[in-house]
Amino acid sequence: MQDKNKLTGTPISRIDGIAKVTGKAAYSTDYPVKNLAYAVLFKSTIAAGTIRIIDTTAAEKAPGVLAVITHTNAPKLNVNGGIRGGALLQSPEIEFYGQHIGLVVAETFEQARYATHLINVTYDKKEPKVDFEKLAKEATLPKDKERADAKRGDAKAALRDAEYKVEQVYETPIEHHHPLEPHATIAEWNGDRVTLYNSSQIVNGAQSAAANTLNIKPEQVRIITPYIGGGFGSKGGQWANLVLTAVAAKQVNRPVKLALTRQQMVNSVGLRQRNHQKVSLAATKDGKLTALAHEITTHGAIKNEFVEPCGDCSKVMYDVPNSLITYRAVPMNVILPTYTRGPGKSTGSFALESAMDELAYALKMDPIELRIKNEPERDPSNGKPWSSRKAVDCLQVGAKAFGWEKRKAEPRQNQQGNYLIGYGVAAGTYPAHQRPTSAIVKLKRTGNDVMATVELAAADLGTGTYTILTQTAADALGLPLRNVKVVIGDSDLPPAAGAVGSVGAASYANAVNDACQKITDELLTRSGKQFFARPTASQLMLSEKLTEFQTRIDAKPLESAEEYSAHSFNANFAEVSVNRFTGMVRVNRFLAVTGAGTILNPKTARSQIIGGNIWGIGMALTEESILDPRWGNFVTRSFADYHVPANLDIGDMEAIFIREDDQKSNTLGVKGIGEVGIVGVAAAVANAVFNATGKRVRELPITPDKLL
Amino acid sequence: MRPFTYSRANDPASATKELAGNPNAKFLAGGTNLIDLMKEDVERPSAIVDISGLRLTEIKPIAAGFAKGGLSIGGLGKNTDAANHPLIRQNYPLLTQAILAGASGQIRNMATNGGNLLQRTRCPYFYEVAMPCNKREPGSGCGALEGVNRLHAIFGASEKCVAVYPSDMAIALAALDAIVKVKNASGQERSISFTDFHRLPGDTPERDTNLAHGELITSIDLPPNKFADKSYYLKVRDRASYAFALISVAAGLEMGSGNKIVQARIAMGGVAHKPWRALKAEQFLAGKEATAENFKRAADAEMADAKPLEHNKFKVELGNRSIVLALQMAMNGGKA
Ligand SMILES: Cc1cc2nc3c(=O)[nH]c(=O)nc-3n(C[C@H](O)[C@H](O)[C@H](O)COP(=O)(O)OP(=O)(O)OC[C@H]3O[C@@H](n4cnc5c(N)ncnc54)[C@H](O)[C@@H]3O)c2cc1C
Repeated sequence: MQDKNKLTGTPISRIDGIAKVTGKAAYSTDYPVKNLAYAVLFKSTIAAGTIRIIDTTAAEKAPGVLAVITHTNAPKLNVNGGIRGGALLQSPEIEFYGQHIGLVVAETFEQARYATHLINVTYDKKEPKVDFEKLAKEATLPKDKERADAKRGDAKAALRDAEYKVEQVYETPIEHHHPLEPHATIAEWNGDRVTLYNSSQIVNGAQSAAANTLNIKPEQVRIITPYIGGGFGSKGGQWANLVLTAVAAKQVNRPVKLALTRQQMVNSVGLRQRNHQKVSLAATKDGKLTALAHEITTHGAIKNEFVEPCGDCSKVMYDVPNSLITYRAVPMNVILPTYTRGPGKSTGSFALESAMDELAYALKMDPIELRIKNEPERDPSNGKPWSSRKAVDCLQVGAKAFGWEKRKAEPRQNQQGNYLIGYGVAAGTYPAHQRPTSAIVKLKRTGNDVMATVELAAADLGTGTYTILTQTAADALGLPLRNVKVVIGDSDLPPAAGAVGSVGAASYANAVNDACQKITDELLTRSGKQFFARPTASQLMLSEKLTEFQTRIDAKPLESAEEYSAHSFNANFAEVSVNRFTGMVRVNRFLAVTGAGTILNPKTARSQIIGGNIWGIGMALTEESILDPRWGNFVTRSFADYHVPANLDIGDMEAIFIREDDQKSNTLGVKGIGEVGIVGVAAAVANAVFNATGKRVRELPITPDKLL
Repeated sequence: MRPFTYSRANDPASATKELAGNPNAKFLAGGTNLIDLMKEDVERPSAIVDISGLRLTEIKPIAAGFAKGGLSIGGLGKNTDAANHPLIRQNYPLLTQAILAGASGQIRNMATNGGNLLQRTRCPYFYEVAMPCNKREPGSGCGALEGVNRLHAIFGASEKCVAVYPSDMAIALAALDAIVKVKNASGQERSISFTDFHRLPGDTPERDTNLAHGELITSIDLPPNKFADKSYYLKVRDRASYAFALISVAAGLEMGSGNKIVQARIAMGGVAHKPWRALKAEQFLAGKEATAENFKRAADAEMADAKPLEHNKFKVELGNRSIVLALQMAMNGGKA
């Protein structure tokens, strides 16, 4: 697919880059809406119990205050309307620390914030359930059918009889998404229709969740979200702040802006759950896996459950006759866990790929060789053939590019001054899907110039959606990039899939391509002529002397795609140095080799991959949200306490894409790269730390204290 | 944040006078700490006196007095300027390293030297007003004592407060035996030796320092030293930059003939409610040879008294290793 004459496949810079760096790109709170009032949320300071009294008298009298909304005066909302995490001010019940218990609306932001300090709340407290170590014993089978026990063969028996085995527990902490742009909304009512400028990864999802919750029709809600400052899953499902802004705007009868603070983010918009994962591997002495058991214990919120699929990689990575994957979950007084970049795969692969490294070490076998030895011909979980699978290529190409042969098989053999150097490898995967998406293409000719506008309710998280769709349309229509305009991020446009689950590029690009092919077909039919070579739409606009022409498509995934198992695969290589006095770890070099089908734009794709890698390095070394079990509050409320990697933490990052033509998964062969970049990363780093120091850290993050 | 009045002071006299008249008034310098704490509702001043325009920014040699031959650093100079001044880079590289190990370029461009000394603890229970904290609200209890206390003190803490003091710059200043010069509303000046500037929590953790209300830091004076080429600031933290210290060590070795140490200066950060002078280690090293073994014994001597909490036991071992490494790095002139 990567054709020299095409614009797709070339590393063009972000179309929206200039607008962003010059401040012209309008994010949710940047809209110059007139007569704005400002809302500030206030939150519970207990994790379980009920509000007995909420005294808002002083706040209501404070200067500039227009309204104070609490469960005592909020309109009735549909709590099952699709807003995640509750906190809709519908009852005095408290289910987690920092639950929204009200909001103040005032003339200015400062006045609203001040008034929140004047509210007095009396609670009837209950003992919160937040101590995961204690609660884990009570975990039971999740309600979600997808998390039912998955058995193939008899893993327990095979483990009993194993020549070699590894049985270990791996722990990952609660993490937060913390996109740079906190969640923010402006709500403006016009009669019975509300416009919500709101950061949304799923434009139509936000529309229906808001409508259902507000008890109005989807047509009455318009979501506008042309730019998103990152989301990582936290802006996929929508949270109470979206709807409460609309409620506030209605109440004060003017537009209202509500932006969360960084501190409020920890208990407003979901989190990545704490996982306790036991992985058991059995193998013959020559490294053939005979059993793989991956048993996961985690938590949900008090009323609702979300269990990230930590066992997913274990289902498809290796050829193993006996397999067992189980989930158990316990309710906790925390905000509902949710999709977080590489849900389950990033955390699950830490457990699986650490265990593979432990097994390789026990077998005295190179960890790459062990993986190649267990490469499955078909998807072991369902027996389907792969649409394509480049896992082995990723490992081999990566080993060569990284200089894997320089790795010492035994740990602690590579010391340079005060530093111990280590190499680690880990593999990863992420499923590839295309989702139904509609699109309109409009062509307009002025003289010899044809302009195209492509419209769909897609979302650009900051990843490059505008850019790849411009490239795709330009190729399909035979136009230069500057003659294509992409309009997205508005629910008034044709409905589209969300920028979630790595389906964005495949769904959007295929829909745009289909639409462009369709418009070309229609122009051809209209011309009634026969051509030797298929002309482009722009040529037809000129030859037919049309001034305007448009079409719409409702693109669907290929029916035949169901016959295959479609995944992206990667191999991650890390070189770390560990200060042998202080235990501080630095990732000197990191290489991710990815087979993810057609790469529409190598530049934005590289950014996606290394962005995922960097979060994976954060997962390995620094990121952790810590709860105080006595109150159920997070003590890590700001970027001073929640450590995402800083520039100095990151060494040389390299991304290689393996050429992969996969027309079985979808027409353009696009598999998606948004999440695979984080899968396997933490394990590669942890394995490198073991190679450097001889210490196997099974509890993330690997902070200096764990290496003393 | 709560309503407050704002005024700009044109000279030290009017600045100190404004504060003297209002026990709830505060100076505003770079604002990088005070404003954050006001947004968190931790600090609630009724009046803000902006001193950022005062011309107390000079860095100049000291001609007379205790610190003769040393350097005076203006209280309202920026951290960035102090770190990069040629005389500081040359004669006090320990200070340059410590300042540059803190915060970020942008913050150091705003942060002032006086403000840096007075930055408040990063204890999460201090920061969240719904939590008990004797420092923020005397008598409310200490959330960290039996809470999440991985980052907390192992020396000099009390039942009332186990917080640590966060500045990097101040750790170097402690090792450099700096003097803090302050002025009050009556125009009186006093000099406070660095070890007396910050306090241990005791029963009054609400008081971080021995500065009286309304006293203005006019300068920080550095006496001359003989270890500029044998000094090192080591900062151990959870990420490579932009994180507060788990442990930091400012070390300077004044060497005599042979391999003999005349005097060692060691101060630790991340271990106490104030910059912690490692006097036991210093005493041990005086007159001894600069060997790996002596460094280790000095570290053992200092860390023997450490009293860790539930989650920070690692700081005892890490502190020990950090003293050894910082001394080794100081001996090697900062090279590994
Ligand atoms: C994200 C972040 C990370 C940071 N990381 C680090 C780090 O790693 N290491 C580190 O050491 N620091 C760090 N800091 C803290 C930073 O160094 C301090 O915020 C800064 O030095 C404070 O200086 P300022 O001038 O802004 O003080 P301000 O905020 O203006 O004032 C602080 C206090 O000092 C008082 N004050 C100021 N000047 C005077 C004066 N001349 N006389 C009397 N009183 C005065 C004020 O009234 C106020 O109470 C970090 C800060 C942030 C925000």
